[in-house]
Amino acid sequence: MDPKDLKEIKAIIDLMKKHDLSVFEIEKEGFRLKLEKGPSSQATAAAPPAAAAPKAVPATPAAPKAIESVPLKEIVSPMVGTFYRSASPDSPPFVDVGKTVAEDTVVCIIEAMKVMNEIKAETGGIIAEVVAENAKPVQFGQVLFRVR
Amino acid sequence: MFEKVLIANRGEIALRVIRACKELGIRTLAVYSEADIDSLHVQLADESICIGAAPSLESYLKIDRIMSAAEIGDVDAIHPGYGFLAENPHFAEVCESCNIKFIGPSSRAMQAMGDKNAARSYARKAGVQVTPGSDGIVETEDEAMKIARKIGYPVMIKAAAGGGGRGMRSAHNEPSLKSAFHSARHEAQKTFGNDQIYLEKLIPNPRHIEFQIVADSHGRVIHLGERDCSIQRRNQKVIEECPSPLLTPGLRKKMGNAAVKLAKSVGYENVGTIEFLVDQDRRFYFMEMNTRIQVEHTITEEVYGCDLVKEQIRIAAGQPLSPHVARAVPRLHAIECRINAEDPANNFQATPGRIDFYYAPGGHGVRIDSHAYTGYTVPPYYDSLIAKIITVGATRINAIDRMRRALGEYYITGIKTTVPFHAAMMRNGDFRDGNYDTGLLDRLISAGKLELASPPIRLHE
Repeated sequence: MDPKDLKEIKAIIDLMKKHDLSVFEIEKEGFRLKLEKGPSSQATAAAPPAAAAPKAVPATPAAPKAIESVPLKEIVSPMVGTFYRSASPDSPPFVDVGKTVAEDTVVCIIEAMKVMNEIKAETGGIIAEVVAENAKPVQFGQVLFRVR
Repeated sequence: MFEKVLIANRGEIALRVIRACKELGIRTLAVYSEADIDSLHVQLADESICIGAAPSLESYLKIDRIMSAAEIGDVDAIHPGYGFLAENPHFAEVCESCNIKFIGPSSRAMQAMGDKNAARSYARKAGVQVTPGSDGIVETEDEAMKIARKIGYPVMIKAAAGGGGRGMRSAHNEPSLKSAFHSARHEAQKTFGNDQIYLEKLIPNPRHIEFQIVADSHGRVIHLGERDCSIQRRNQKVIEECPSPLLTPGLRKKMGNAAVKLAKSVGYENVGTIEFLVDQDRRFYFMEMNTRIQVEHTITEEVYGCDLVKEQIRIAAGQPLSPHVARAVPRLHAIECRINAEDPANNFQATPGRIDFYYAPGGHGVRIDSHAYTGYTVPPYYDSLIAKIITVGATRINAIDRMRRALGEYYITGIKTTVPFHAAMMRNGDFRDGNYDTGLLDRLISAGKLELASPPIRLHE
């Protein structure tokens, strides 16, 4: 498969996750692709019709079936504090899914006791997942990002 | 009253504080290291935050991370337990500046008594007899020799920043004084980052008797009697009892008054303990003050009928001394045995590891303060205390025999513990007679005089 296609597919997977979509199907120019979210770990596979009325398939927090199975590296928090994705409320996030990072790339800020600490990736690769939630507290060792 | 308290400690004391908070309707936030993720106190706390890797220096001693957790958790107060940062004036200061109440004395009072040498001058000023010794820090070995000649050998060389039985060296004559002086300084620098040392006369075969101080923020200071902690192995307490079989009512009154006087003179608040050495002629000398809750606070609670940790929290919240504490009188006799993850048959070598099966004794007059449970893994990074067993009896012998009975049911497998050692001590004649000093245990051990009890009958596992 063309690497450019792979990149597009990864972007689609992220969009699916972001918007809580379970099935995506596309057909164009002799190319057909269907992506479907795998069954969740909770027993919601057969959701009661009443509860699932507004949605076609119950949305779950499970990650979409990944095309590749390379184990992801984790960027974990080296401290206790509040996680921020950007330097200030009006700045863009330091990194997003798909961004390439090197060891000394600043990936986020963790604020502790009014001090803004820039956190470096400490690893190289491409951001696969933003795990921590913006403006939420994180503890030591908590996973912030996953990197491919 | 506080709404939420952060417990800056681990193990049995963290559990102890959480229990007190729950009874007071206070929400709890436990901070823990990666090695303590399965610890009982973490599971029982309302919230928990991981603050670092296993080594204490990377977690329980990390003031910035603890304060961060306090901020995130929006706590009103922090209980430091004992050890770790409990007697760290800088930590108390940081709490004060962050407007989070430190459950303990002020950083100022802590500083005053934390420097063991300075504490001696406070004692002298308050008219409390101190162990004969140097008037302050001893700078040179010549000075040490002069002082030693004056007070007489044997002498103890102690670190000013030390305490808790650490950073001490003895010298029995002038030739050994020189090397002891230098090695004590070197060890003090290494262990406490401070090489200041002072000299004290080594009192032969002393009893270690300490008084429990409780002081509120309204100027009221009382004592809740004494604990005899003379059963020690290498200067570490292993068995404590309340009251002391040595004290007469007259001596108790004198020592208690001296303890209160000293605590008042430094404006002490919250709970603390004043340690005395009592020589063979029943003369008592101030040794040091511990500005925190102690491991053995339990036996005072049983005899005086109070909850000292709850009282700590009440005092820190600004309440006056509880009437039942202020009026407390001693009843009954209590003994505590510290159960460590150590092998008494193998020079008390530490034995961390997984507890395969844990059954603790019960019944009338038996109290267990422990974070251990079946399947719990004792980590190798911290102290080896896994449980405290306390027995209460109408008389001293009742308490001792009850301890014997209870230890016979205490079943811990997977690791070695000091249960058999304590069982042997409860049978020991000198201990049963109340005839012991701080040297007894080391003497018994080196003479191989302790017959370890055989393991109890196997329980269904």
